[in-house]
Amino acid sequence: MLGLERAKDDWYPVAIAGSMGECESHTTRLLGFEITLHGGKNGAISVNFGETDLAVQVKFDHVWTTFCDNPRPLFDIPEGDEPGRVRVPCGVVRVKCSPLRAVENFLDIAHFPFVHTDILGAEPHTEVAPYDVKIDESKNEVIATKVKFFQPQAAKSAGDGIVTDYVYRVAAPMVSILYKTCPPKPEAQDVITLFVQPLDEETCDVWPWMALYDYENSMADMISFQQMIFVQDRSILENQIPRKLPLDPRMEIPTRADMTSIAYRRWLKRSGALYGALTEAV
Amino acid sequence: MTTEPVGLSVNLPSQRVMQARVGDADIAVWRGVSGKLSAWLNRCPHRGMRLSHGFVRGESLACLYHGWHYGSDGVCNYIPAHPDLEPPGTIQTTVFSIIDQDGVLWVSVDGAAGGQDLPGDSKPVRSITFSCSAKAAKDALIGSSVADGSGGELSIHDIAEGSNRLEFKSANGLNSVVVLLQQPSDQSMIAHILAAGDWSVDGMIGISRWSETVRRQAERTKNVPNSDCQDEL
Ligand code: FES
Ligand SMILES: [Fe+2]
Repeated sequence: MLGLERAKDDWYPVAIAGSMGECESHTTRLLGFEITLHGGKNGAISVNFGETDLAVQVKFDHVWTTFCDNPRPLFDIPEGDEPGRVRVPCGVVRVKCSPLRAVENFLDIAHFPFVHTDILGAEPHTEVAPYDVKIDESKNEVIATKVKFFQPQAAKSAGDGIVTDYVYRVAAPMVSILYKTCPPKPEAQDVITLFVQPLDEETCDVWPWMALYDYENSMADMISFQQMIFVQDRSILENQIPRKLPLDPRMEIPTRADMTSIAYRRWLKRSGALYGALTEAV
Repeated sequence: MTTEPVGLSVNLPSQRVMQARVGDADIAVWRGVSGKLSAWLNRCPHRGMRLSHGFVRGESLACLYHGWHYGSDGVCNYIPAHPDLEPPGTIQTTVFSIIDQDGVLWVSVDGAAGGQDLPGDSKPVRSITFSCSAKAAKDALIGSSVADGSGGELSIHDIAEGSNRLEFKSANGLNSVVVLLQQPSDQSMIAHILAAGDWSVDGMIGISRWSETVRRQAERTKNVPNSDCQDEL
């Protein structure tokens, strides 16, 4: 299968750290293979693939695993460790789409007025101003900066709607991180990420995580807000045809607003990160 | 590939969008404010979203994902992310032929749609989805007869081999019920039902009840395990 070998070299989230009791176990899937998670002492979680113990690490409040003995290192989010932030794993949402479609949707702002109406966007404020996209060669990441968008309710503290600034990072083929204006603390930015567990090429579990300066809302409120947003995205993701992400430019027609998505698709192609992608036009 | 019936005209009022299947093609069918019909491949050229989830604005269909508007000719005429941009005329949906004939919507995915003739005074009854194979649905329909609501019965009348049209007629030949079959998938079939002749409201309701009874029977005899039956519109 195209891209499977490369995909096996990466780390993937499979659980929230500390979410399993001692002796609890459950099976899930990763890249089409069945794996089993076991709860151990002090909230530790181990992962088996058949007879093999897989490498495990805990980062960003999630348990990450890999099939590879010498995996590509897991990316960093330095801002996430800053004191004063609330770190919130938001649970898991299963989506019947390619893991790459889920990441691409997360990078997209033009859908806010239509999919997250009156929350992250609203007509007539639909224009996407030009922004910068590049590949950071030293880190091998896609970076979009100076992204701006009008939001009616960027945060509960923002009354009338504000123009929100975003920076997007694609740190791995199935990981996207966004930094956005944080209303209570203008000099800092909220961090919201999408960690994707590829169950197979057309199904994924999405684990959103946030590291916010939010002094007002309870953890439960923040989780339910994020879950609501993601459930709206799911209604789109499960209705895109085809389910895999097309990399052939003849298949779908982008515009300037889609520069991040264009760069993401090119970067996937040149990296050979083809798991969940469609390389030929159909 | 022939023309397929995809629905009853009354069930698609103006400004509404529905999903249909013709052969292997997933299709979005919609009506503009003026009532003009369009049938397109159910895939937005931008990022592949099913257009049947979209919404009608005037004489255009807007995609739910990023709100791109397509006119009834299928050509993109507005991209909300770039409100001042005139979209290049090359962005367009795949357009199919659709006609509204005697209250039935007919779609062809290759060439001009041509509907079947129906009795002149045909009135729409309903569309109903059977969650079973086409054969099971057809067998159940053929094996039944329709009560006319006043003691009489309509029985099955000439079924051409392989035909997707069944006709039931009263003994005196004045009243008839026409069932047009559409097969959206291997495990479900839609029956579009019309009545011709002299029918009271109760008679029409009787036809609708009859179709539900036949459906239960068809789904019970040769069924798929998960039969979440869904009526059309
Ligand atoms: S997918 Fe239809 S407008 Fe973007
Ligand atoms: Fe979204």
